[in-house]
Amino acid sequence: MAIIERPATESPASAETDDMVTATSSYGYLRRPVETTGWRSWAFTVDHKKIGIMYGVVAMFFFVVGGIEAGLIRLQLAGPEGTILSADKYNQMFTMHATTMVFLFVMPMAAAFANYFIPLQIGARDVAFPRLNALSLWLFVAGGLFLNSSWILGGGADGGWFMYAPNSDTPFSPSNGVDFWALGLQITGIASLVGAINLIVTVLNMRAPGMSLMKMPIFTWMAMITQFLLLFAMPVITVALFLLMFQRSFGATFFSVEEGADPLLWQHLFWIFGHPEVYIIVLPAFGIVSEVLPVFSKKPLFGYPFVVFSGAAIGFVGWGVWAHHMFASGLGPVSVAVFSVATMAIAVPTGVKIINWTLTMWGGKLQFTTAMLFAVGLIVQFTIGGLSGVTHAVAPSDTQQTDTYYIVAHFHYVIFGGGVLGLFSGIYYWWPKVFGKKLNESWGKWNFWLMIIGMNLTFGPMHIIGLQGQPRRMYVWTEARAGEGFFNLGMWNLVATIGTFVLGIGILLFFVNALVIHRSQPVAPLDPWDARSLEWLTTSPPKAHNFDRTPTVHALDEVFYRKYEDVGKGDEHDYVQRASLEDLMLEEERHADAHIHLPAPSYWPMVLAVSLPIMAYGVIYTSWLIALGGAIAIAAMFGWALEPADAEDSDFDPPAPGEQTSKELANV
Amino acid sequence: MSDVVKEDVVDAAVDEAHSGDIAGALADAHDDGHGEAHHSSLGLSNTKLAMWLFLGSECLLFGGLITTYMLYRNAHSADVGPDQLWDIPFTSASSFVLLMSSLTMVMAVSAANRKDDRNTKSWLIVTALLGSLFLAGQVYEFTTFYREGLGYTDSLFASSFYTLTGFHGVHVSVGIVMLLATMAMIAKNKISGDKAETVEMVGLYWHFVDVVWIIIFTLVYLIPA
Amino acid sequence: MSARTDVANHEGTRERAARATTSLKTVTTRTQGARLAKVGGVVVLTGLIAGCAKNAPQDTFQPRGTNAERINDLALPVFYIAGVVGVIVLGVIAWTVMRYRDRGQPIPVQTHGKPALEIALTILPALILIGVAIPTVGTVMALNDTDDTECVVNVTGQQWWWEFDYPVQDGCMPGGITEPIVTSGQMAIPVDTNVLIRGTSRDVIHSFWIPRLNGKRDMVPGRVHNLRMQANEPGLYAGQCAEFCGLSHANMRMEVAALTQDGFNRWAANQLEAYESPVEGTVAADGESAFVTNCSSCHQVNGLEAADGNPIISRPDVGVYPGAAPNLTNLMTRTDFAGASWSLLREECRKEVWEAEPDQFTDRYLEGVTDDCFNEVDLREWLRNAPAKKPMYADPTKLAETGGLYRGMPYLALSEDQIDLLLAYLLERK
Repeated sequence: MAIIERPATESPASAETDDMVTATSSYGYLRRPVETTGWRSWAFTVDHKKIGIMYGVVAMFFFVVGGIEAGLIRLQLAGPEGTILSADKYNQMFTMHATTMVFLFVMPMAAAFANYFIPLQIGARDVAFPRLNALSLWLFVAGGLFLNSSWILGGGADGGWFMYAPNSDTPFSPSNGVDFWALGLQITGIASLVGAINLIVTVLNMRAPGMSLMKMPIFTWMAMITQFLLLFAMPVITVALFLLMFQRSFGATFFSVEEGADPLLWQHLFWIFGHPEVYIIVLPAFGIVSEVLPVFSKKPLFGYPFVVFSGAAIGFVGWGVWAHHMFASGLGPVSVAVFSVATMAIAVPTGVKIINWTLTMWGGKLQFTTAMLFAVGLIVQFTIGGLSGVTHAVAPSDTQQTDTYYIVAHFHYVIFGGGVLGLFSGIYYWWPKVFGKKLNESWGKWNFWLMIIGMNLTFGPMHIIGLQGQPRRMYVWTEARAGEGFFNLGMWNLVATIGTFVLGIGILLFFVNALVIHRSQPVAPLDPWDARSLEWLTTSPPKAHNFDRTPTVHALDEVFYRKYEDVGKGDEHDYVQRASLEDLMLEEERHADAHIHLPAPSYWPMVLAVSLPIMAYGVIYTSWLIALGGAIAIAAMFGWALEPADAEDSDFDPPAPGEQTSKELANV
Repeated sequence: MSDVVKEDVVDAAVDEAHSGDIAGALADAHDDGHGEAHHSSLGLSNTKLAMWLFLGSECLLFGGLITTYMLYRNAHSADVGPDQLWDIPFTSASSFVLLMSSLTMVMAVSAANRKDDRNTKSWLIVTALLGSLFLAGQVYEFTTFYREGLGYTDSLFASSFYTLTGFHGVHVSVGIVMLLATMAMIAKNKISGDKAETVEMVGLYWHFVDVVWIIIFTLVYLIPA
Repeated sequence: MSARTDVANHEGTRERAARATTSLKTVTTRTQGARLAKVGGVVVLTGLIAGCAKNAPQDTFQPRGTNAERINDLALPVFYIAGVVGVIVLGVIAWTVMRYRDRGQPIPVQTHGKPALEIALTILPALILIGVAIPTVGTVMALNDTDDTECVVNVTGQQWWWEFDYPVQDGCMPGGITEPIVTSGQMAIPVDTNVLIRGTSRDVIHSFWIPRLNGKRDMVPGRVHNLRMQANEPGLYAGQCAEFCGLSHANMRMEVAALTQDGFNRWAANQLEAYESPVEGTVAADGESAFVTNCSSCHQVNGLEAADGNPIISRPDVGVYPGAAPNLTNLMTRTDFAGASWSLLREECRKEVWEAEPDQFTDRYLEGVTDDCFNEVDLREWLRNAPAKKPMYADPTKLAETGGLYRGMPYLALSEDQIDLLLAYLLERK
């Protein structure tokens, strides 16, 4: 993190002291961290790019954890009466698989992209509240580790990720797993809420001059809608989790039927959060493919306003369909009918997106890079998931399908097909921006095809398994109910298990590509894909301050129009490249802004984040830990409040006398 | 739309003069102290916008808690329910105290806008005192209820009542800490940003907590079950 | 009519059934073939699969009752529509991808869209969905109608088995049900009768689901939920708890035995028959006292009397958390036990019952578990160590959260001799 400004003409002294700079003023208890290299430069950074990368790395770690859990689940179900896992471990496994994938992989991975690229796409130097951004990251890490620490402290949660009451109450789930789950999700929930506020403010308030809302890159749009969904969904799950925590830890009776409680309260609270959550998962991925498709089609996104408004419509209508998760719960027929129709209604804006993506490619000049393959893969897989979704939007039909593998098939096509494939598309597309080198394309293609084949082998048969009547969440299935003919459960369960390992190998190839092959990749040009949006108007990786000068925006696809000119006459169009990105960058550097102060690193976000799991362990084990965690939290907030976001002048090297415009920042 | 291309965007962009207003793009919760105005696309400061968003989120938090209470408000034993417990005149008085604190908060904000530090501090103190008085009332009320037999886990009504009002009480407490901290920071001149805006932010939060109480008071105490 | 008479009647029936099964197979294959051909194209393309011979007993596309048929009639067209839309959309995508791949063509026109086209393509799916929505609403309403009920069965779920009780009522059979009948695991209903299930739960949420007869309905503690049930033809219809309900969720199954009206009358009469103690001096008689000692504190056998002549009333609420345990008065009239998870019939007999032709089924089913068909192995293992066979919360050291109450049947440390006695006794419970 660069907080030190100095003139271009370096004095030898400042170069030598680079590694030993210290802040001169102290706030509260501690001096500000100023390291620009080493682990401290990451741990205490407030740079949205470093935070984004760390989000991505940790999310990928949890992706592997969740994937191993999935592999064990499929191994157990490969044949009848599986014996790999006990009933208890199996129940923990599917609960933690879903929890990990939703809360610790897809959401933070989307947060990684949002963090890294929103400021770059809107021409800002950082997010609105850099320290809060760091807090979000560390809360997510703390919550994720806390949640998974349950594995070594008596076992994970075993009530399913939906954690229906009263099965989540202590008599039915006596281990501490559910406590870890409830408290861990509270912590990651705070992370999401803080992140949501931060990013919404960033998008609404910090756009570069000229960037009206309707000139905003589509990924930023979709990410912002996602943040609004988080903003309003998180408090609802927070209430539910608090009620659960009070029930389990302090003897309240919110879900105790014998006291007159209604267990459906939990279901309503959970799904009022849980359904918007689905869109929280897929909208960022939709945003990513809406960036990738135009670039590799050499055409603007078809019907940009329609895509924006359909995203907003999904975000809005998404609040009115939660009870479609409860068609079998025993709601009245009127509620069921209303929610059934509302659920069909939400298929319309979703369909609009698929149509627009297809029409974006229509008439284009399609280049099938790995990123593009993943984007097209998303359209195809998500279409399948969307259509199977329509079949159980029909409530009576859903009473046959809900809680069967048909639903498992459906939402994996939506979440894996519509979410994860989009995230991978984004990884391949933006990798050269973030790391300066492309990922290897041929490894990428193997990665893609194995993932696509693997996911269809895994989740495709689940349609059959479900329609043949196999319920979800069963630790064993029995030969007696498997049937015989072509659709027998035995064969398709085995195929699904084999598919899981094909999928796993596909993902393994990604890690090889990213961690091994990537090292020997050549440095990528500044504009490896002939890209169109603002994040490419800077170096790769971007400088700490993102842009040498704040760009002024004139059009959607600003960078394309800076590179190309239409020299056609009348209705004829002929695009001629006038400038390369290297040319544009030279121009930017020549007009670099003077006097850039970046927000300075801070210890407090991490300290505050650490205090929460300490308190959470306290709730489970012993109350003095609550007091300890609380004390740390208060100290952290005090230190935070007293520490200005930007370093004081005294923390900077003195500017050279007579210094004008030419300044550069310290090495990152 | 493709006409846009004709406008020599490249040149226009490149030639555009850039000078002063850069600091905005690196805005943070606190200004960097260089006195330049924040660049803000909405014309609303980042902190204020963030506070509004946070309060929007809080609405759903209290919405969930109020729903829970409304669902369970009749789930109590015949002899320990609202009829026996509520002391409307007392709670009305403490509600009035909280309402008055909103008024003094307005005075504090107005003083801060006039850059009148002395009055700002005084009004903040008064607001915090009124808030504390309300909290004291709540503590008194809770202990009375407890003595009359309404323990936290005794009935669904009890659990949801204490949870709802307890959450509100925690919000008031946090508000009081914010008021006192703001006051102290003004006194020690530690506020690096715009003083008036900081006070206004605390004010937004404080008014929200008040409004939530009005809703709770109406739904919980005034409307008979 | 007593169950014993049924057994006597049955010898001939079984042979007839065996012959009938052979001829049935050819018929089924042909009709299924026709059906497959009809459904064929779309099904294969969408990967959504309907009807086939020997499909799993919980196949959702083989309705055998009015309610499930109503669902099927609504669902199948939606599957077709989804399939056709899918083929079109994926076809267009495939064509686009082929047609417009980069062959060195110039940079395309930077068009931002055609609003008219967009609006048309928005309205089109909306119209299709309106077409789906209207019949959906109609079916939802129809499936919730309870006015035509002819028979009521109370269904209660608990970890991890279902209890069925038939309250005293005028319905179900001519003359009505005069004394309550309590059974578990398998629910007998008369065919062509509109049965209304009034369901609830004693602990967590369970979901009652017999795919061939109706969709599922959650059974929620503290609430009573209705579910219609009607079977067109006699047979055994498999089902499974569909809402995750804890440790042994996978082992919580149930079946509906649809009997002819006459068969149902016989079944009901048998259930209410007075208790007969085993003949003095037999193994079963010793088994009775072993049962009283080891089992009767939780499991009710109606009519069982203590030495002093007082009826023995089980008190499962003292021992198990949901406060109920299966009533074993007529255990051997059911074909399986422990949440319908293990068969009381040996494999060949089990197959006979499951594959009996509709007109043979009732008689075959009412034979119950005969000495020849009795599958001793699973029941013996169960008595030896129930929690080892079916995961349950039965560790006496880990019951703090439930106040010392078990969830499920604990390990009883029975000797092999005791088990022999109990098996002999239980085999007579029919």
